[in-house]
Amino acid sequence: MVKPPADTVMCVTCGAQTHRAARTGNTSEETVTITEPPAGRSWRAHSPPSADAGAYLDIERGVIDRRIWKDEGLYQQELRRVFAPSWLFLAHESQLPKPGDFFTTYMGEDPVVVVRGKDRTVRAFLNTCRHRGMRLCRADAGTTRNFTCSYHGWGYDLSGNLVNVPNAEAYPDHFDTADWGLREVARVQNHRGLVFGTWNPEAPDLIEALGDMAWYMDAFLDRDPEGTEVVDGVTKWVLEGNWKLAAEQFASDWYHVNMAHASALMVMSPTGKGPKTEIANTPGRQFTSPLGHGAGFPVHPRSRFDDAAVHEHYDYDQLRERLGSARVEGPMTTGHATVFPNFSYLPVNGTIRVWHPKGPDRMEVWTWVLVDKNMPEEVKQAQRRYNLRTFGPSGIFEQDDGENWSEIQAVSRGFVSNRTPLNYQMGLGIHDDHDPDYPGRVGELYSDNAARGFYARWRDLMNTPAWHENHTTPEGDRD
Amino acid sequence: MSTPAAAPAQAPSTGTRAMELHFEVHVLYANEARYLDGDRFGDWLDLFTEDLVYWAPTRTNRLRRQQRLSVSAPGGAAFFDETKDSLAWRVRRFESGMAWAEDPPSRTRHLITNLLVRPAEEDEAVEQGVSEETAREHAHYVAETGFLVYRNRLEHEVDLYSGGRTDLLRREADGSLRVARRTILLEQNVLLAKNISTFF
Repeated sequence: MVKPPADTVMCVTCGAQTHRAARTGNTSEETVTITEPPAGRSWRAHSPPSADAGAYLDIERGVIDRRIWKDEGLYQQELRRVFAPSWLFLAHESQLPKPGDFFTTYMGEDPVVVVRGKDRTVRAFLNTCRHRGMRLCRADAGTTRNFTCSYHGWGYDLSGNLVNVPNAEAYPDHFDTADWGLREVARVQNHRGLVFGTWNPEAPDLIEALGDMAWYMDAFLDRDPEGTEVVDGVTKWVLEGNWKLAAEQFASDWYHVNMAHASALMVMSPTGKGPKTEIANTPGRQFTSPLGHGAGFPVHPRSRFDDAAVHEHYDYDQLRERLGSARVEGPMTTGHATVFPNFSYLPVNGTIRVWHPKGPDRMEVWTWVLVDKNMPEEVKQAQRRYNLRTFGPSGIFEQDDGENWSEIQAVSRGFVSNRTPLNYQMGLGIHDDHDPDYPGRVGELYSDNAARGFYARWRDLMNTPAWHENHTTPEGDRD
Repeated sequence: MSTPAAAPAQAPSTGTRAMELHFEVHVLYANEARYLDGDRFGDWLDLFTEDLVYWAPTRTNRLRRQQRLSVSAPGGAAFFDETKDSLAWRVRRFESGMAWAEDPPSRTRHLITNLLVRPAEEDEAVEQGVSEETAREHAHYVAETGFLVYRNRLEHEVDLYSGGRTDLLRREADGSLRVARRTILLEQNVLLAKNISTFF
């Protein structure tokens, strides 16, 4: 049985709201002494009590308690300890070709605006005005010279500096615009066109945070020396279902394909009767990362489901030379993958996507179509059409994923349901050998190894105070 | 791209021919809705020409000065970008008996309204990719409608899809009207549904 959750522990270093109370307790205007940096420049606020996430999982035995998809307290802890410190996907660099180009997205539930500055550097900022907290930019994308809040008119430049304050003469002498720039995402880095950001100033470099996963990603991102770009536009939809249901599936779950997507496989098979047995039972490998990432892919040469035009575009000998045969016949093909925590992709379908958390019960899916820059226009279009016909809200595959996730979530309301552990035992202790052809821990395709890896990483982050909860050492804020 | 706002001409509102055309198209769309709500996807497919382009671009929030970018351009993100063959592919999936998103089936109601229809100029059809020969030999019409699709699924799931359609209709040799081009604009940015397992 899954262990019951341990009692939650109150913070022993400080009491609730003590920092704020100390500052706001002094009401005399003349004698205001700011003992801390202005609000927003410090993350050293009191942290709510945290639960032991390990109480909901027994990774070694392969059982999981479905309360991790439902509990509001765990969800808030995720925002603090999983989303705030992790590298999160923001945008593809091709969305921001020129200075002033911007794109608005989310990191966890925090709105951010990603913008290319005059110095061509891509930065990201919390998308909220420092004055009254109005959402600063309400367009999905565009081009601008500055961001002006539509509430009182505070204006910020592309580097996040506060450059315009209407009626500035009404502010006291110690008001310094330098203190009230936009909250900047601490680190922004790019891996082969994919722009990631983290609030954590102490985070390792992105490439380190990807670890062995980068080798698998490059089977998709590095097929061509010119690199990749995204087709114009992001397809977005929202559904009932905890974000981890999707992230876990893309990390680990080839198993569901034959059943959940039976209708799509049937339509796409040459005979119209579904795939042959040797394809349904395809051999393949699954990669599990200690950093929570996961990827799976068939290695059967006939287990391809790519678009004919895209398939014919590639020179496979050249690809083998570039990426190595193991990658061309593995993760470049009909694979699936999740970069922990909430970025996933499918090479053959050309989809990259983020599972934005929207409360414990909901996720919002944002998907882009990724193509090689060098592809002729008609091949890019073939990839785009193939993508939207198979994946996305109307895709013949993904329609059925939505049904599974929303129904799992709907069932997760019952008391008994929430105390009936679920099985994550496939491949447990059987197929976790290393494979000389692939980096990292690699086992059989049909396995829950990567799901167990995903949840082990989730548990560890959930049980580790994030940098912003550190009360004793000076925080590495952007200032 | 043809949108209601960009329609170059007004639909005539008087005259017997205008009324007959309006009535004919109204019945066509009522039948189409009946097929979609009655699980008659094969009959529904028959309403489209062989050279069909069926397109539902996504819509983004843009500032007013960049409104022209608020509808995804051809070649950009879309919920549907279909030919008659690919629609047939989607319909075949429903018939597989394993299309779980619609098994058990949803209950839907397609309400098609605000119809405006007018004859199309020959070059309007050509601009939308109809071959010059077909545009010359067949009368075409531009029909705009609004729709509201209600989906009720399983126990409590409710989805509302509101949008507008601009169709290019073709008078076929047998005298019937078929849809040759359809552009669907949903009034949503983030699609507020877990999937689109019906058609518009």
